[in-house]
Formats: sequence, C-alpha cells, structure tokens
Amino acid sequence: MNLTDLLPAAPEMTLLGLICVVLLADLFVEDEKRVITFWLTIAALFITGTSLVLTAQETRTVLFDGSYVSDPLSHVLKLTAVGVVAIGFMYARDYLHQNKLFKGEYYVLGLFGLLGTMVMISANSMLTMYLGLETLSLSLFALVAFDRNSATAAESAMKFFVLGAIASGALLYGISWIYGITGSLQFHEISEAIRTNPEINAVPLWFGLAFVIVGIGFKFGAVPFHMWLPDVYQGARSPVTLYIATAPKLAALALTLRILVDGFSGLHEVWQGMIMVLAVLSLVIGNVVAIAQTNIKRMLGYSAIGHVGFILLAVFCGTGQGYAAALFYTLTYVVMAAGSFGMVILLSRQGFEAELLSDFKGLNARSPWFAFMMLFFMFGLAGVPPWVGFFAKLNVISAVLDAGFPGLAVLMVLAAVVGAFYYIRVVWLMYFESAEERAILQAKVDTRFILSLNGLAVLAIGLMPGWLLSLCMRVLG
Amino acid sequence: MIGLQHYLTIAAVLFALSVAGIFINRRNLILLLMCIELMLLAVNFNFIAFSRHLGDETGQIFVFFILTVAAAEAAIGLAILIVIFRSRRTINVRELDSMKG
Amino acid sequence: MFQAVLFYFFAAALFAAALGVILSRNPVHAALFLVLAFFQSAVLWLLAEAEFLAIVLVLVYVGAVMVLFLFVVMMLDVDVERVRGGLTRYAPFGLLVAALMVIELVQVIWFRGRTDAGLGGFQPTPDGYSNTKALGAILYTEHVYAFEIAAVILLLAMVAAITLTMRKRPGLKVQNIAEQVAVKAKDRVRIVKMETEKRQ
Repeated sequence: MNLTDLLPAAPEMTLLGLICVVLLADLFVEDEKRVITFWLTIAALFITGTSLVLTAQETRTVLFDGSYVSDPLSHVLKLTAVGVVAIGFMYARDYLHQNKLFKGEYYVLGLFGLLGTMVMISANSMLTMYLGLETLSLSLFALVAFDRNSATAAESAMKFFVLGAIASGALLYGISWIYGITGSLQFHEISEAIRTNPEINAVPLWFGLAFVIVGIGFKFGAVPFHMWLPDVYQGARSPVTLYIATAPKLAALALTLRILVDGFSGLHEVWQGMIMVLAVLSLVIGNVVAIAQTNIKRMLGYSAIGHVGFILLAVFCGTGQGYAAALFYTLTYVVMAAGSFGMVILLSRQGFEAELLSDFKGLNARSPWFAFMMLFFMFGLAGVPPWVGFFAKLNVISAVLDAGFPGLAVLMVLAAVVGAFYYIRVVWLMYFESAEERAILQAKVDTRFILSLNGLAVLAIGLMPGWLLSLCMRVLG
Repeated sequence: MIGLQHYLTIAAVLFALSVAGIFINRRNLILLLMCIELMLLAVNFNFIAFSRHLGDETGQIFVFFILTVAAAEAAIGLAILIVIFRSRRTINVRELDSMKG
Repeated sequence: MFQAVLFYFFAAALFAAALGVILSRNPVHAALFLVLAFFQSAVLWLLAEAEFLAIVLVLVYVGAVMVLFLFVVMMLDVDVERVRGGLTRYAPFGLLVAALMVIELVQVIWFRGRTDAGLGGFQPTPDGYSNTKALGAILYTEHVYAFEIAAVILLLAMVAAITLTMRKRPGLKVQNIAEQVAVKAKDRVRIVKMETEKRQ
C-alpha cells in the first residue's frame, strides 16, 4: 500500500492535524489576543475545505479495509459541513466576546465535532459510523455545557447526555444483532448477505434494524425520540444552538443514508413502515407544537422536528429521486437554519439573550436590512416561493407522489401550511409591531457581509435551484 | 452445552434491567449513569457471543472500542454532573425542570 | 458439565449484582454492585474464551471508570437521605417494560433464531490460539482507522472534561513547579553570624 492511496482521506487527516495545531497554539495565546485562535480556526476550516475540493473525485473509493468510503455524496456533505461550521463561528465571535465565553476550547470542541461529522459521512462500516457518532456527540455534550455559569445550559446538557447515551446503547444493541446475523459490519457486505441469503430476512434481523432506527430517530430528533431537542435548543447558548442545528443534521442524514440505503436497501419494505411512523409524527407534532412557543430558539427547535419529518419522508420513498430530495432538503435547511440562528445571535447583546419572539418586534424600524434578511430566512423555512425552502418541499412532495403515496403528500402540504403560520408571525412582528427597543444592531463588517451572503443565497438558490437539484441527483440518483 | 443463546439471554436480561433501572431511578443522576454502563455491558455480551459463534474477531474489536468510548463518555458525563452540582447543589433528576413547553 | 455449572453460577451472581445496581439508592452501594457485575461479566467472558477483553474489562472498568464514579460520588458530598426517598411512580411501568423486553428477546433468541442449528455453539479455537495475538493482529491492520478515531475520542474527552470542570478560584494556593525547581539554597537559607553567648 502506498501513502498516496490514502489521499482520499486527506481532508480528515488535515483537519485532525490542524485541530492539534489550534489546541497547542491556544495554550500560548494570552486572553486579550484570543482572536488569534479564532482566525487560526477559520484558517483550519479553509484549509480543510480546500483539501476537500482538491481530493474530490467522481469515483467511489473504499479505504482502510472497508472502513472508509469516499464518494461524491461524501464530498458534497463534508464541504457543506465545513462551510456551515465556519459561518457559525463567524456569527458567534462577538457574542462569545461579550459573554466572556471567548475561549479556545470552544473552537477546539467545534472542530472535533466537525471531524466526527466527517467521519460519519465517510463511514463504510458500523464501527466507524459508531465512532464518528460518538466523536460528534461527545463534543456536542461538552459544547452545550460550555457556559459553566448557566444552570439551564448544564441542565439541558445533562438531558442531552443521558438520552444520547441511551440512544447509543440502543443503536449498539441493534448493530450487535445485525452483526450476528449477517456476519459483517461493513455496509456493502451486509447488503450482499441480505441479497444472497434470503432466509436471514427474518424477525431477529428486523429486530436489530428496529433498534438501529431508534438510534437514527434520536440523532435526528424525530418524534417520539425528540424530547431532548427543544430543551437543548433553548438551554444552550445561541452559538451552540446554531452549531447543533447545522452540522449534526448533515451527519444524521449520512447516518440514515449509509445504513438504510448502503446497507439495508434490500430490506426496504421492512424499514419503510418504521420510518413512516417517525416522519408522520414529527411532521404533525413538530409543526403544531411550534405554534404555541414564545421562545424563538424553542420554536425553531420544534420547527426543526417538523423539517426532519420532511427529510425522513423523502428517505421513506426508497427511490433515487427520494434520496436526492432528502439531500437537497437537508443542504438547504442547514443554510437557512444557520442564518436564522445567526440573527438570534446578532440580536443578543451583553447580558441579554434575545430569546423571545417579542424581541423581534419592530426590527424593521431599528435595522431594516437585518429585518429584511430575517424575512428571507423565515420565508425560506416556511416554503414561500421563490425562496429555496419551497423547492425543497416541492421535491419531497413530488418524490412521495411518484412513489405512490398521495395521502402522505396531502399531509405534507397541510403541515407546510401550518408551519408557514409561525414563521410568518415572526415577519409580522418585525414589520407591523412597534419596537420596545430602539438600539440599532451592531455587527462587524465581516459578520454583516456573511449574513447578507447567507440570506441572499437562500433567495438565489431558490431562483435557480436547477444546478443543486442536478448535483443531488448526480450523487444519489 | 453452553452456547450462543445462553449469552444472548444474559445480554437481553441485562439490557432489560438497565432500561428498568433508568425508569426506576429518575431521582439520582449518578445511578442513571451507572444504568447506562450496564446497558453497554449488555451490548458487549451480545458482541462477544456473536463473535465467538461466527469465529470472527471483528465483534471483539468492536467491544474493545465500546469500552474505550464508554470510558470517555463516563468522564464527560461526570464532568457535566459536576457542573450541575456546582450550579444547583443537587443531582436530583426531578429538580431539572426549568424548561417547559 | 462443570462449565455449565460455573456459567449458571456466575450468571446468577451477575443478575443479582445488576438488580443491586438498579435497586439500591445509595450511590456508593450501587457503584460497588456495578463492580461486582463487571467481575462476574469478566468471568463469563473468560468462559467464552474472550480472554483479552475479560482482562481489559477488569482493568479499564473496575480499575478506572468505577474509581472515577466513586471519586465523584465522594467529591460531590450529595445528601443521600434527600436523594433517596423511595421508588418513583414510574417504577411499575419500568418493571413492566423490562419484563416485556425479556419475554420478547427470549422469544426471538430461542424460538425465532437460526433454523439451521438448534443451539448455536461457539467455534472451537485451534491449538495454540492466542486471543490477544489474534485481536492485536487485526486491531493495528484492518481497524487502524477506527483505532485512530478512538484516540481522537480520548483526546476530546480529556479536553472536554478539563474545560468543564477546571476553574481558577481566587485565593487558591497553588504550586509553581518551575519556581520550586529553580530555587537556590541562598534564596531560602540565610546564614547569620552571631556572637556566641557567654557562659554565665
């Protein structure tokens, strides 16, 4: 084996090396110059992104005796993950400064989480999937508890930890059954075993699959495994919520696609029913409960559950079109989620957390441009044409229709209409209510620029969705 | 002859006990963490039994990694526990209810 | 036959210890029961000829993780009496769930299992087989990628645990090792010349 054979895995290795550099450099930086760590982190993300672009290839390569796979799907997901993590760090800088949380460990833990996401995206065996998942989860637990003086943060971290550990236990129990019955941990070998040996397609294997789906449901935050999600979204500091709302969603999609599609496409009829139950419950409960929220982070948390319903229904179809729709939906969702939490961060100031919906009242009078950007994000998430969320929902609905489930398509349309209500309420508050506060939003030029770019991207992709759609179809079709 | 099924049964009983423990001990967070360790132990039994049944060492390698990760997980869980205790002076699960909705 | 007797004995002890973990409400008792459960498991793994993992279980779990648990229990100084206070109202529900799970799982394991063999036995190991050697041979070759990620997880756990728990309290007396090492005799000892006192 040549060292150059390992080239497809270069992005992960680069990132790991750079994490160590950031970790060590941070030791020698004084508190007043902590911004050096920040720029080092951004540089690390930039270098990782560049290495991803340089090593991208059209073919599917399997490395490390079947532990690692590099394919176009992995490049798309990883590049998006690096991008949203970088955006999240940019938005968070001032907030962390003002709240005395501007520490190197925040960035190191964030980068570790990104590494876990990348490992999951490129996993080709249950073992690497599990280890990537734990790398991601452990960094998230620590990030949620990062503000040690906040009792709510610690509480939500504990809930997250306990439920996350139980979910990992269930996932592992399922994996152990699958291993015992198929005799392998690698996805293509599991798929091969199911194809060549039809008699293993029986209760014990379904049993293992059910436990694995419980694990997937938890990581996505699908009902009825969603209990942690609203509390964590609300309890964590806003930059951490932004982080949780973006990169882990990409990881959860990778987890679902790798296990259910790469490994268990032969058992599609078996998992279809389970995924449908999760998806329908998430759609209904997520969208309905979100209406009753007064805390915007909690509202966006419930709305995330509703969006997970859409993603899971796209996966449920079991067709190439459905998988592509799920990918399109997830990619565009994380961009919009990054933007809307970016606005929540921007609205907060020293000692003041802009958490309530009423904090958005009259934002138009205070900062018209930011209010306009928030309108973009809300219309995007609601699925108002021509913003990108509309096409994401349309893709999923047409995939479900083509798979022959008109009832589910109707349900999705209803859920989207209900969902539109609480997003548009935010817009209403910003434009038609008078402000309780007069202060103009302060933001550094670079943050302002990136937020505007983020908002315009939500519109631009919506106006020209063709290239992203064809990209999704190409990597998954 | 003691074989696969016996070990799987042990794992099943341990798994069920740990789930019951999570329901029963909704009071003390440390006990909750211990129940999670018990759950991972059950999973390890399954992997070892299947690994010996198949004559394939990969299952035992998986157990090796589960042990590693569980140790790391316990460290972080206990660290969060300490953070909670410092801010609230309690580790009673019932008192962790500041968020509703 | 002898092996079967040993198996049932240790399995019974394991169940008893597990029950002890979930039912005792004093965290120290629970931790010690968990240690007992780990020892029983290690013996059962030895019986299944997974020697390396049996030893690792004792070393890592009993030696490190459980000590950490006990350390935290002692450090937190939790008011045991207040935390105790009877089973929760979920207890019957929890036991019901557990009983159902056991019935379902036993049914799957014993009656819906593989059709080819009545009882799945273990593969016989060849003469001179070393479990440790066999695991080592694939751990550092086939699974080297997973091994590296496990290393990352340990580093991450270290960073996270230190971030969450280390704090600099004002007024805390700390050692400065560098200063201690660099100290010279003349910094600390002052030789004073005095006139000897006259004998009276």
